[in-house]
Formats: sequence, structure tokens, C-alpha cells
Amino acid sequence: MRNSWLIARRELKERIGARSFLLFSIFGPLLILVGAYLLFAFGGEGKQRWNVLISDPTGIMDAKILANEDKSITYSFANDYIELEEFRDAKQFQPFDAMIEINEKVLSNKTAFIFFREKPSVRMQTRLQFHIERRLEEVMVAEFTNLSVSAFRKIKQPLNIAFRNAYDPLDEASDLRGWVGFFFGAVIFLFIFLFGMTILRSVTLEKSNRIIEVLLASVRPNQLMAGKIIGIGIAAFIQFSIWIVVIGVGLYFLRETLFPDLLDAANMNVAQMTEEVKQQTNDYFFATKEYNEFVDLVYERVQFGTMTAYFLLFFVVGYLFYGAFFAAIGATSGSESDGQQFILPIIFILCFALYAGYFALENPESSLVSFFHYLPFTSPVVVMVKLSQGYAPGQGYQLFLSLFILLISAIFVLFIAGRLYKNGILQYGHRIKLSLMWKWLKKM
Amino acid sequence: MLEIQHVSKSFLRNLALDDISLRIEAGEIFGLLGPNGAGKTTLIRIVNRIIEADNGSVRINGDLMTQQHLSMIGYLPEERGLYRTMTVEDHALFLGQLRGLSKKDVKTQLEYWLEKFNIADWRKKRIEELSKGMAQKVQFICTVLHEPKLLILDEPLSGFDPVNIELIKQELLEMKAKGKTIILSTHNMKSVEEICDRAALIHQSKKIMEGRISEIQEARKTGEFAIKFRGSMIAFVTALWTSFELTDKEILGDDKFIARVKMRGDNSFEDLLKALIGQVKIEAAWEVLPSMQDVFIDLVNPRKEANNA
Repeated sequence: MRNSWLIARRELKERIGARSFLLFSIFGPLLILVGAYLLFAFGGEGKQRWNVLISDPTGIMDAKILANEDKSITYSFANDYIELEEFRDAKQFQPFDAMIEINEKVLSNKTAFIFFREKPSVRMQTRLQFHIERRLEEVMVAEFTNLSVSAFRKIKQPLNIAFRNAYDPLDEASDLRGWVGFFFGAVIFLFIFLFGMTILRSVTLEKSNRIIEVLLASVRPNQLMAGKIIGIGIAAFIQFSIWIVVIGVGLYFLRETLFPDLLDAANMNVAQMTEEVKQQTNDYFFATKEYNEFVDLVYERVQFGTMTAYFLLFFVVGYLFYGAFFAAIGATSGSESDGQQFILPIIFILCFALYAGYFALENPESSLVSFFHYLPFTSPVVVMVKLSQGYAPGQGYQLFLSLFILLISAIFVLFIAGRLYKNGILQYGHRIKLSLMWKWLKKM
Repeated sequence: MLEIQHVSKSFLRNLALDDISLRIEAGEIFGLLGPNGAGKTTLIRIVNRIIEADNGSVRINGDLMTQQHLSMIGYLPEERGLYRTMTVEDHALFLGQLRGLSKKDVKTQLEYWLEKFNIADWRKKRIEELSKGMAQKVQFICTVLHEPKLLILDEPLSGFDPVNIELIKQELLEMKAKGKTIILSTHNMKSVEEICDRAALIHQSKKIMEGRISEIQEARKTGEFAIKFRGSMIAFVTALWTSFELTDKEILGDDKFIARVKMRGDNSFEDLLKALIGQVKIEAAWEVLPSMQDVFIDLVNPRKEANNA
């Protein structure tokens, strides 16, 4: 044990002392924070400028729509009926990205249609809806009440009705939450791959520079392999923790500095909202509405505590499981390039695991997903997706069963890898063949 | 100190060691000789428990060798390496602690050896900054840091310049004087003659010779004598007449030679001296023993001997 720890300590010192460790610790999470910022700021944004035609044959809107000019949308009015096919195909309508149909029944049935050529972003949908709604509101106030528009807006109390599943009141099964799980799973696999490659390189380096023989005169091959996996694993864990801390602190600062108002309850106040809208239809206010989805997701709906705990557990066990493969390949390869070639199947499996996570995201109820959920090669990412979507009541045991299977598999693979490591570590210059590996595997 | 009993080892279908038995006494320097691929490294790896023997046993001080005994051994493999990015001190700490030393003891020992080799300023140097010879010295130091009772050195002199070869040889002799046992696997036959007490030769997986160096040489001597003299070579040859045979000569100067002579019939060394006295001025005369190089070549390449015959 002492020897394994000495090996682990050396590996850890070497990894942490490397400049790449520091750079990856800082720039990795910063990159993610930049990604998060971009999602917050421009999430779901597609086409920047929209040319919109309003078909208003009865002149309900009186060719007016905005109190202030919105630079991202240009409205044109047509006092004719425009058939959908005409809008779609006629040459004169091609410059328009969307057509809003305001028919004479709009004041009674409160329904308007927006036909688009390319689906507008959430941000754009919000704007279009907002503009039409405000303008029709003015028309309706004038038509049906004796109030002024400002008086109407003062007394108007919009009521938000949220539809929620009785079994999933927090809407945990939403796709967006699933993507968060997928992201967590992908990060696990990124780390497994990066640090697995570190194990491989470290083993092949010791073989190629021949220090392995000096080491084996003091430690057993299994101790050496265990020390190596543990040392590099601790380095990965430290880097992982740095990522979590930096991302955590970064998200906190984003919340506190860049988007303070988005989460400020005062600014969500509906009365204030309408007051603002009445005076100025500014971009910032629109932004607030749509940012909510991401910001709310990240800051309010993802249970970071639970996710992080299982994330770390699955990372550790998943790393042991895959790390053993990398160590075995390093030990059994005859040369560094030979090992690199044999790594391709592992990369394929890692990519497949990511795909399995995506599959779980898209088809959460599929029986194949249940299989991937327990398959040790794919379980770390699939469990993360399932965890973020939420397990049905009474099915939480599935998570622990998956973890248990992964753990048992890791122990088994470590045992197999130990044997390959022992018999392959002093072999040089050969090409890896499955038959040779099988022979080494059978050998005590 | 070390007893190797009937050790055999095969790799797949290749027999690497065939029933090897050796006994290495405490306090001796034992030469493990043999051509490339003879099985020396395999035997050394078995002693170091890096690989396991198929048959046979290894005993150290009478006990069956276990993992715990490894701390008594200092092993310098032929194909040795170091971590290029580590400093000399970190390396020593790592390998010393693996051999059971405390951090403090490693530092004390390292200081002693760095001072001894006059390389104290290397302590903080990274291995990649050192030349090959310098790295070899660091490897040697790392091998002896834990003051092992048994040193197993595989080609310890390769890569060193003549000055450092002498330095290492002196160190080995000093260690022997302190009672350490040393197994020296080398192709440098001159050093075997100079520092080894006994040697064994492994060839094609088998032990084909074992004994004291002097006895090995004695056993394979050809009855040749060397005469260093001043005078005329013609006079020297004439004096030999039919009783002795001139086998070789070396010209040292205009009238200075070393001649190698074999006896014919029942003639003795005294007869040779009697025949030469008065003909040339004899400066020295000695019996020629075969060098370990010759013994080695004769044993592993008997065809040459047959061809010569």
C-alpha cells in the first residue's frame, strides 16, 4: 500500500506540476462560463432582422404597431387578404420573413396567426407576440371600454397560468433539464478520456524509457498500476473540483454582476413591467423575459448539490472502469504508436456512450435506454441524463443499481487489467494482438 | 548470501533458462557472464522477483526469497531509465522511499553520494539537463542509496568514460570491503578479471562454467610462457632450437621484445631459461594465463577453437 501511495504521489506531483494542468484548470471552466454567458445573452437567437408583413384587410390596426421603433423588426401593412400559398410563393412577398394575419374576427376570438418561413427564435416570438398584443390591446380598449390605454394598463393584472404534470410538478422531465444531465455526463467522459490518455502515456513512457524495470524491482505490477490510476485519478479529481469551484463562483458572479436584474423579483413585478412597456419598449425588458428560461434553469431548477454528488461518484467509478482499460492497453502495447492505435476502439466506445446519453435524452422511455442505463460503458452519461430528468417515484433504486453494476464491473476490469499489466509490462517491440492478450490473460 | 537452485524459465515455447543453479557467497563480487540472449537478464529478473521462475527456487540468507527481501537488494538494470522531468533529488526521494527508506534517510544518503562523486550541484537539476554519463551516475546513486546488502548490477560500466569506469570500479571494491555482495553482469571482461572473485558463464540458457577467476584461467591455460628480453630476435629463435616453439611475438623497440613460447616434449620453464640465458638479456618471464575475454570466446564459440586446432 505504501508503495502504491508513493507511485500515486509521484504521478500526482507530475500532473499537478505540469503547465497544462494549470491551463486546463483555468481555461476549461472559463470556456464553459463563456458558453453559459453566451447562452444567457443570446440563447436561441436565430435571424437578427425580421421583415414582417401584417395582413390587415379590415384596417383594425390602422397601420400602427409600435410606440418606439424596434430595429430588429420592420413591419409592413397590407390591407388585402393574402392567401398562405400566395405569401409562400409569390415573388413580391419573398422579402418578408413572416406574415401576421389579422382578420376581422380577431377582436372576438382573440386569435391571430403568424406564418413564418424560418422558425423565429424564442426571443423573436416574444417580441412579435408582444407588439401585436399591445397594439390589439389598444384597439380593444378603445372599442370596448371608456378607459384610456394607460388607465387600462394600470388596472390590468395578467395572470400567469403554468401547466404542470401532477407527477412532475417541477417539470423535471423537460428536455432542457435533460441537456444539463447530458452536459454533466459529457464532462465525465471528457475527463475520463483526458486522464485515461494520461494513464496510457504514463505507462508507455515508463516502458519506453525503461524505468519500469527499476520500479518493478521494488513494487508489484498491480501496486504500480493501482498507484498510477489512483495518482492520476486524484489529479483528475482535483482538476474536476477546481472546475466545479471556478464554474460555481463564475455563475455566482454572472448572477450578481452581469444579470442582476434578471433574477431580481422587483424587476419581475408585472405592474412595473407593463408600466415600462407603456413608456418604452426597450430591448432590455424583452431580454428579461426570454433569459428567464436559461437563467431559471441554471440558477433555480438544476439541483446542483444532488447532481454534483452523483456526478463525482459516477466520475470516480467510471474513471476506474475506463482507466483500467487505458492502463492495460499501455502495458500490453509494444510501442507508443501501437498503443495509440489500440486506443481507437476505446474512443469509439466513449463516443458511443455519449450517443447513448443523447438517445436517453430523446427517448427517455425506450427499453434500450434502460439497458444503457445499466451498461457500465454507457451508464455514467445515461444516469446523469436520467437523474436530471428525474426518476419516477419508487425508481430511485435504479440509480444505485447502476452505480453498483459499474463498481462491480470496475473491480472486474481492474483485475483483468492487472493481469495484462503484469504479463505485458516487460514486453517490448511486439504488436498488440488479441491472441497475445488472451495468452497473457490466462497466465497467472 | 544468495542461492539459486535449479531455476528454469520459458517464454511461450522458448526456453530462457535451463536448470540454473548458482551460489553467491556473502562479500564477494560475482561475475555473471554470457553472450547476448543467453538468459542473464531473465535470471536477474527472477532474483528481483520481477518475473517468476517456472521451476526452482531462490534463497537469500537461507530463506526463500519474498517481496520483503527486495529492500536488501539494489538493482541496476541494463536498460535503465529515469523520469526526464524530475530533479535528481526528487528521483532519489522517489526510488529511495520505494526501497523502504524514510525521506530524511534518503536526503542524508543522497548528500553523502553527491559529495562523494563531487556532484553536489546536480541536486536540483532535472534529468533532461544531464548528459548520458551524468544520468548513469544518478542511476548508480539511486541503486545504492538504501545501502543494500546485495547489489545486482547489469552492465554498470556501459556509457561511462574511462575515468568514471575507474571510479565505479573503485566504489564496487570499496563496497565489497564493507561486506556487500555484488553480482556483476557485464561484457567488459577486463573489469571481470580486475574486480570479480568468481564468475559463471551462461550460454544458450545453460550454465556452462562457474568458478574462481584465477581457477578458470588456470584451467584453460595452454602452457605458454612470455619472455620479455633485450637482444636479437634471431639469437632468441636460435636458442629455442627444437625444444621450444615460438607462438607469438611483440616488438617493443629496436632490440626489445616480448615473445610467447610453448614447450615441446618434456622441457620445462627452467630448461627454457637455461637455453636463453647468455643469448639474450631476459628482463621478465611469466606464465601466460588466458584472459577472461579468451575464455569467454572459447566457451561460447568453440568452432573457433576447432578451426584453430
